[in-house]
Amino acid sequence: MSVETFVTDKAGLQKFYEAVMASRETYAPVEKFGKFDFKRVARVTECDPESPIAKTQSIKPLFFPRSAKVMKFVATSAGTDVSETDEDPLAVKRAILGVKHCDARSLQVLDKVYNWDYIDTDYQKRRENTVIISTRCDRADTHCFCTSLDYDVENLDALDVLIVNGSDGKIYIKARTPKGESFLKETVTGQASPVTDEIASPDLKKQYDAFAGSFRLKMDYKEVNAKLSKIFDTPEFENVSGNCVSCNTCAFVCPTCHCFKISDEKVKDTGVRYKSYDSCNNGYFTLMAGGHNPRPVKYRRWRQRAMHKFVYYKERFGENLCVGCGKCTIACPVNISIFEVVNQVSAAGVQE
Amino acid sequence: MEQLLVPMICKVDKVIQETPDVKTYRLKFRDEGMMEKFTYLPGQFVEFSLLGSGECTFCIASSATRTGYFDCSIKKAGVVTADIHNSLEEGDEVGIRGPFGNWFPLEDLKGKNLLFVGGGIGLAPLRSLIQYCIDNRNDYKDFTILYGARTSADMCYKEEIKEWQDNKTVNVVLTIDKPEETWTSNVGVVPKILEEVVNPVIENTKVITCGPPIMIKYTILSLKKLGFADPDIITTLEMKMQCGLGKCGRCNIGSTYVCKDGPVFTNEQLKSLPDEF
Repeated sequence: MSVETFVTDKAGLQKFYEAVMASRETYAPVEKFGKFDFKRVARVTECDPESPIAKTQSIKPLFFPRSAKVMKFVATSAGTDVSETDEDPLAVKRAILGVKHCDARSLQVLDKVYNWDYIDTDYQKRRENTVIISTRCDRADTHCFCTSLDYDVENLDALDVLIVNGSDGKIYIKARTPKGESFLKETVTGQASPVTDEIASPDLKKQYDAFAGSFRLKMDYKEVNAKLSKIFDTPEFENVSGNCVSCNTCAFVCPTCHCFKISDEKVKDTGVRYKSYDSCNNGYFTLMAGGHNPRPVKYRRWRQRAMHKFVYYKERFGENLCVGCGKCTIACPVNISIFEVVNQVSAAGVQE
Repeated sequence: MEQLLVPMICKVDKVIQETPDVKTYRLKFRDEGMMEKFTYLPGQFVEFSLLGSGECTFCIASSATRTGYFDCSIKKAGVVTADIHNSLEEGDEVGIRGPFGNWFPLEDLKGKNLLFVGGGIGLAPLRSLIQYCIDNRNDYKDFTILYGARTSADMCYKEEIKEWQDNKTVNVVLTIDKPEETWTSNVGVVPKILEEVVNPVIENTKVITCGPPIMIKYTILSLKKLGFADPDIITTLEMKMQCGLGKCGRCNIGSTYVCKDGPVFTNEQLKSLPDEF
C-alpha cells in the first residue's frame, strides 16, 4: 500500500482545510475565554487547528458527550412509553481538525472498553464516520508525557491524517490509515504536491526528534505498571491525595476517563433519561442504598483512579488508561498531578 | 440515543408484601413475545427502572423454569427503592434491561449435595437457584436450605418456604436472631445454626450463600472451620452498578468487573481479589 504524503505551505494548508470543511461537517478548536473547545466550524478563520495543547479541551465529548439524552419517556397511570431522542448529531460523516496526538490515541484506548462484549453501537458509528486530522505538536508542554507511555507517538496510527511542520516553511500532509488515504484523494487540492518518503521522511524525523527532546517529564511506564500492580495497601495513597477536593474536574477533562451515571429528570408525566460524566472521585460513586461503600474514604478513591489507569485497564485491555496529555494536572485546582501520583506511589513501594 | 441503555417495558403482574420492608414484584413483558427471548439463568440480574425516579440493580429472584414471568424482590433501602415501594402497583409499568452478569456454576453443582445458606433479602438470588434445582431435582443429591432472618416477620417467601418444607426431598432449617413466643424453630445467628444444627456433610457438597456482608463473612469462617474448601463455597456479590455492561466504571474490584465477571464468585476467586468490597 502506498500511503501518500503531500507537501505544501501555510496557504496550501488553509486551502486543504477549506476543502475538508466543504467535504463534510468539520469540528476544530474554537477559542472562547482564552480556552479552546472542539466546535462545528464552517470557515478556517473561526478556528485554530494549532491551538495550544495546554488550553485545548479533549475531543472526548464528540464521541462520549458530556451529558447525552438516552431517551425520552412518558409515564402515566395509563402506561409508559419510551421514545428515541432526536437523531444523533455526532454520527454523521465528519472530520475533526487540530486533534492532538494524545487525544487521537485516547480513542484507541476507549475503543477497547466500548467494543468489549456489549458493543456500544452509538460510539462505534461516531468513530466510523469520523476522519481524525492531527497536527503533530512542535514542542511538549510543561505537563505533557505522551512519549513516556505505551504507544508510538511518532508512528501513531490512531489518526487518519498527519500534519507536520517541516523545515523552511514546508508543511507535510500524510495519510496514516486507508481511511485517511481515500480522504486525501477527495480533499487535497493542487496547492499540495505529492512527495516521496525518501524526501519527506528525514524532515519528519527531524521535527519529531526536536519535539521528543522537549519533554520535561519522563517516566518508565513499565516500571510504574509493574510496581503499582504489587501495591494496594500503602499510606502513600493518602499522602498524594490529601489535597484533593473531590471536584472531579480531572475526570471530566481526561480524554480516557469514561465513567458515567444514568439519571432521570421528570416533570409531571414526561421526562428524559441522561447519560452524563461521573467520576470515581465522587464519594457517592460506589455508595449502595443500604449504606455500604467499598470506597468510603478519599485515598481509596484516588487509589482506584491511579490503579484503574496504570494497572486494572492494562490487565484487562492491554493499554494504560492514560495518554500523558497533562489535562488533569492543568485543570486541577489543588495541583495534583497524575504523573507525580503514580511515580511517587510506585517509588515508595510496598510497605513491609 | 444511547441504544445500550434503553430499557424494555414490563408490566407489574403482582405485588407480594414479603416482609415489612421487602416486596416481590412479579413482572411480565408488555410485548408478550419478549418473554420467550428473555432467557436467563439463576444468579443473573437486571437493571430495573421506575422511570423518572431512576434505575437500580436487582437479581432475578425466580427461575426461568417457571415460565411466563420473572420476579424481583426489592428491599426498601434508598431513594429509588422507597419510590418503588411507595408508588409501584399491580398494572403499572417499569423499564427492564438485562439479563446481565454470570450465573451459578450449574454444571459444577450437578451430582452434588447442595447446601443453601441465606440471610434476610439474601435469599432472593438463592431462590432463583433453589427453584431451578427443585425443578431439576434428579440432578442433585441431598438438598438443604438454611435460612435466617432477624425476626420471623422478616422472613421472605413465607408461602414458598412452606412448599419447600412439604417437599420430602428438601431439608429446610430456619432460624431467627432472638426468641419469639410463637416461634418453635431455631434461634441464633446463621453461622451458629450452621455449625450446631445443620452440621453438614463436607464430602461432595457445594455451599451457596448470600446475605448481609457480615453474615457472609462469618458463614464463610464457619464453613472453613467445618472443613469446606474455597472452590466449594459460592456466593454472589452486591456492588453499586449502573450500566450492567462493563462500561460505567463502578463495580470493579481490581480489574474484575462484578457486573461482567460476577456477581457469582467462589470463595477461591474472592480471595484473589483486592480487599475492596
